[in-house]
Amino acid sequence: MSSQRQASSAAQIPHLSPAELSYLYTSLSLPNSPIRPDGRSPTQFRPLSAETNILPGTNGSARIGFADGTQAIVGVKAEVEKTVLVSDTLDVQHEAQGTGNGEGGEGSSSAVTGGHGSWVQMSIEIPGFRDDDALPVFLSEMMRESLVGSVGVKDKSGEENMAGGLKGRLVINKRWHWRLYIDVLLLSQPLSYPLPLLSLTTHLALLSTKLPKLKSKGEEDPFFDDDWAVAEYIYPRVLGVSNTLQVRPPVTLLVISVGENVIFDPTREEIAVADAVLAISVTRDNEAGSLQPLKLLSIRTIDPPSRLTQPGIPNSENVNMLGAPAPNENVAVLNPATGEEEVPGVWRPRRGGVKRSVIAGMVKTVLKKGGVGEEVLAGLEGVEVS
Amino acid sequence: MLELPTIQDTMNDRRRINGPAEGTRPPVYASHLKSGGATDRAQRQREPTDLRKIFLKTGLIPSASGSSYLEFAPSSSLANARSNPKSLIPPSSALKLSCTVHGPKPLPRSAAFSPNLVLTTHVKYAPFAARKRKGHIRDASERDLGVHLETALRGAIIAERWPKSGIDLTITILEAEDDRWWADAPDLHDASWGMMNVLAGCITAASAAIADAHIDCLDLVSGGVAALVSDDSTEDSAAAPRLMLDADPAEHRSIMAACVVAYMPARDEITELWLKGESSKIALEKGDQRSAHEALIDGAVDAARGAHSVLSEAVRETMLRAVTPL
Repeated sequence: MSSQRQASSAAQIPHLSPAELSYLYTSLSLPNSPIRPDGRSPTQFRPLSAETNILPGTNGSARIGFADGTQAIVGVKAEVEKTVLVSDTLDVQHEAQGTGNGEGGEGSSSAVTGGHGSWVQMSIEIPGFRDDDALPVFLSEMMRESLVGSVGVKDKSGEENMAGGLKGRLVINKRWHWRLYIDVLLLSQPLSYPLPLLSLTTHLALLSTKLPKLKSKGEEDPFFDDDWAVAEYIYPRVLGVSNTLQVRPPVTLLVISVGENVIFDPTREEIAVADAVLAISVTRDNEAGSLQPLKLLSIRTIDPPSRLTQPGIPNSENVNMLGAPAPNENVAVLNPATGEEEVPGVWRPRRGGVKRSVIAGMVKTVLKKGGVGEEVLAGLEGVEVS
Repeated sequence: MLELPTIQDTMNDRRRINGPAEGTRPPVYASHLKSGGATDRAQRQREPTDLRKIFLKTGLIPSASGSSYLEFAPSSSLANARSNPKSLIPPSSALKLSCTVHGPKPLPRSAAFSPNLVLTTHVKYAPFAARKRKGHIRDASERDLGVHLETALRGAIIAERWPKSGIDLTITILEAEDDRWWADAPDLHDASWGMMNVLAGCITAASAAIADAHIDCLDLVSGGVAALVSDDSTEDSAAAPRLMLDADPAEHRSIMAACVVAYMPARDEITELWLKGESSKIALEKGDQRSAHEALIDGAVDAARGAHSVLSEAVRETMLRAVTPL
């Protein structure tokens, strides 16, 4: 049980022999033109089918299914909650000057308009895992931190443009706020590392999430329009330049490096031979004058499962091959990528970490203009949100 | 799941006078506020590239096969407040943690075969570690820290030398870092920044404890933090944030982004990287063309190099103790 628990941070390793792993690694690390088992290009995603607003009881929902049969459903629910002013904060200016009795000043409003990260709650259910296992906890923290970490920019025209990001959008007034529950359900066994599937589904669900229209004004107790048709999207539909939505929820991409290649959306077999696995969260940068179309929100390394695999044994060290004539090609060579002696064609799990240049390269492939991140966001925009 | 007593249960208890369910804070008197003292914001006295001093010692827990204890030097304002107390509330906190390694030991019979060493990491805050009390059951952030730590160490340990065995690594955090200055309300960029400093300390301490347990590693892996900080929250909000190494969140008004790395200097490799926050703008010297996230990673690596010098000295002391028994 403990080994299953331990492997959980990087999803389970497929049962591949050292020879198979070595074959996969060699074909994926071919310079400049990796050959993937399913024939995709390095930046191509698996085909998927998506639909939104499938659950009538939620504020927003989405379903995505990959062609290999893995499916995820996300439901977003919102509740109105009373804002409890944090008891251990101290508004120094107010108390020191003795102005204003408790509230009503402009100083205390800054804390409230910001919103709080804990108002977004995320839970992930993956079959075969307990809800306190490492994998679900790690995934939900990873996706939540990029959701609440994105802070929108204040537009010069003063329009409502998601100042404060998702957190800011949840504020109703000084005394009330929305609490958002994002529940992610993986319907199938995790055949590959489920992060891309869960992140894309959450993205679509948040895009389709609506909150009822507020009728009360200012500091009154909140009172909402009961007509669902006039409800407002939590991520408002403001079309910016080049006819794209201005404010988008973040999306987390899974990127692996094999040799010198950078590969996106890896399958279970591909991730098993990866040198480095990164989860990179990006969102659209709607700030004027920025060179890059995307903004980086977070990077996390994920433990590459190759470290748990069984190494292969070269013939020269194999006791069963003692009598056999020594083949000439079976000579250890120095692998330039790892700096270790390796026998070609014999699987040896990668030791050590990643070079900084490799990380920079992976991030650049995501962020650059016309790069993968932009492509993914554009593709998700194509899903009709009704 | 464990059933926790609900508030309802404690409400019905009328025979005792119970304390408030939430924590309380020590009183702050108006006279204090006028004279300053208690409410003086902690200020960073170090240079942007200066690190806090680290105390690291191994072999303190005899029953474990390897152990270490790590402490960050208190900031100058905390040191002042301790020597000359004006208030009950400490202005900032300094990290203190202990780490134990048990093993390598055979895996239990029920476990599946593993050709490699199986590493299990537990990170737990002591209930009194932070300003707000932590429960006895590990919460999501503690489990998250455990996964980060496991990733950082798994890359450094040469795991195939111990087939069918496992080690358990347990870290108890005795005093944690604050996420912000204690009297500040959470602002726009609020996040659990203190956790990142804690993780860096965990990595360095765990590395020392693993060396103390004589487990083969590629290199001593050390942790480092760098942060993008904007201190002038007043009118000049357009100013780009600056890079600070080993930033104590209590000493800064607003942290925009932070990055932790676990770094092996001998191979120039990163085994764990955790970056979060808005890293789009940064104020660098003229001619520096790096983007903000690259500068953050480089800064964290520099901090890790600094921690590595302390780490290697601590491991050297360990070896000296082993060869010259008292």
